[in-house]
Order: sequence, then structure tokens, then C-alpha cells
Amino acid sequence: MSESGPPDPLRRLGEELDKARSRERKRLPRDVTSSGGAMGFGLRVGIELIAALIVGVGLGWLADRYLGIRPWGLIAGFFLGSAAGIMSAFRAVQGMGGSPPSDRER
Amino acid sequence: MAEVSAPLEQFVIRPIIPIHIGTADLSFTNSALLMTLAVALTMLLLVGATRRGALVPTRLQSIAELSYEFVANMVRDNMGTEGIEFFPLVFAIFMFVLFGNFLGLIPYSFSFTGQIVVTFALAIFVFVLATAVGFIKHGFHFFSFFMPPGAPLFMAPVLIPIEIISYMSRPISLGIRLFANMMAGHTMMAVFAGFTLTLGFFGFFPILINVAMFGLEVIVCALQAYVFTILTCLYLRDGIHLH
Repeated sequence: MSESGPPDPLRRLGEELDKARSRERKRLPRDVTSSGGAMGFGLRVGIELIAALIVGVGLGWLADRYLGIRPWGLIAGFFLGSAAGIMSAFRAVQGMGGSPPSDRER
Repeated sequence: MAEVSAPLEQFVIRPIIPIHIGTADLSFTNSALLMTLAVALTMLLLVGATRRGALVPTRLQSIAELSYEFVANMVRDNMGTEGIEFFPLVFAIFMFVLFGNFLGLIPYSFSFTGQIVVTFALAIFVFVLATAVGFIKHGFHFFSFFMPPGAPLFMAPVLIPIEIISYMSRPISLGIRLFANMMAGHTMMAVFAGFTLTLGFFGFFPILINVAMFGLEVIVCALQAYVFTILTCLYLRDGIHLH
């Protein structure tokens, strides 16, 4: 091995940083998601479900109030809100599949 | 026996410097104090740590650089290179929520992220911004976001309202998630601390639980700041890229 001058300490530091950084990048996302635990995930799906229901029922109630179509707005809003809630909950669960690209949905 | 305060008392907003202009109550409250503190500490950390800009960073500089890179990677991974123009905003939200969460863990302090007004205001801001970005970048083509690609056309009357409701539920779930996590944790700790006072000799048992719970709270604080930030990224991405 031919030594051309002393080894550049800065370049060595750079290489070490790159190595550490690529290691870190592989480790970090999984670490963060797994520490949330099952409870956190359950809470997340539950909130997703409720939030869509709140919006659906709220819109239906407003429609009833201002369009004068009482019970129908609330009924339609309830069902549409439930459907939207289940859809967003399903999307949230899909994100837990484990494969990196589907992880985006979180 | 010792007096036990209500577990929810810690969330009461108390004015520190009363300011009344007309009928509006603009008092400087404990919540405002902690928010100011969060911003001030963030500035202090980032400006103070990077002022000298050593090539081999000190510990403090490492903290600043790591948080910067963490958010920068998150923005780049989720929004692509166009999203980097939103980096200052996303980074500000991350640091604000993170410091708010952690400052709230200090005994006798106040957790402003446990106030639904604060989290909901942040969430609405992100939602309005993402929608505005969508309209600016795509014009009326933005409405195609509400029709899932590949769905048969006759399903549109059902799917479009569902998609719109699902879209509008985003700020609510974003705001409630942070608020509920912070409030639930703090309330639980207060309840167990109350048990300690009423149980007398056996009071050491709730203390053990509280020690474990405090560790969990530290994780939850960091995690919820992360979740809030990454969801901000995802909503902004939908505005930039549609689908």
C-alpha cells in the first residue's frame, strides 16, 4: 500500500460520519414507530374513526338546521361519517403493514 | 389527611399579567408564558449552539444539528424535493410541539399542548395551508383529489362525500390526537399521585407506578411531536402532489 502523505483526518471523519449516518437512517424509523406501542396505535385508529364521525354528523346537523330537511341531513351525515371513519381507520391500519412505502400513510 | 387537588386542576389557565383591551381578555397567562418559554428555548438552543459552528460539534451543537437533520430528512422523504420550501414551517412546528410537551413534564409547570385550543389551532393552520397550497399549485384540478383513482364513475355520488368528510376530519384527528395524548398522560399521573396521598403507608406503590409512567410520558412526548410533524408533512404533500 502506497502512502501518499499522512491520511487526511477530515476525510476519514467524513467517511465515518457517512457510515454512521447510513446506519442511523436504517435504524431510526423502525425504532420510533415500535416504541409507540399497541396502545398508541389503538388510540390513533380510534381517534381517526371518531373524527370523521364528528365531521359527518356535524355537517348533517348543519344541513338540517339551515336547509330545513330535519332528520335526513343527520341520518345521511351519520352514515357518510361512519363510512369515512372506517375508511380513514382502514388507511391508518394499512400503514402498519410493515413495508416501508406503505408506511407513508401515517 | 393531606388535601388532594383535583387531577384536572393542572389544566386551568391562570392569568399572570391581566391585560384587558375593550371587552377582549388578552391577559398573559401561564399557557402564554410556557409558549414564550418554548420559543425562547428553541431559539436559544439553535442560535447558541450553532453560533461557533465547530466542525467537530459539541454536545449542544449536536443536538441542534441532529434535530435539523431529523426534520429535514422527514420533509425530504415525505414531500420530495419540492417540499423543502416548507421546511422552516415544519421545523418550527416540530420544535414548538416538542418543547411544549417536554416543558409540560416539569413539575408545577403547565402543558400547553394539553389545551385543545392550542393543538386545534395548529391543526387548522396546517389544514388551511395544505388546502391553499393544493389550490395554488393545481387550481380546480385539486377537486380530483376527492375522487379516488380507479373507482367506477357510478360510485362517485357516494365516494365524493365520503372523501370530503374524510378530508375534513384531518384537522380534528390531528388536533385531538396530540391533545388527548398529553391530557390523558398528565391526568393519569395526577390521579396516581392523589392515590399516594390518600393511601398513607401503602402510598409507595402508586409512586412506583408513577415513576414508570413518567418514563412512558417521555416517550409519548417525543413520539407525539414526531407524529404531529409527520402528519403535517403528509397533509402538505397531498397539497403539493395530490394523491
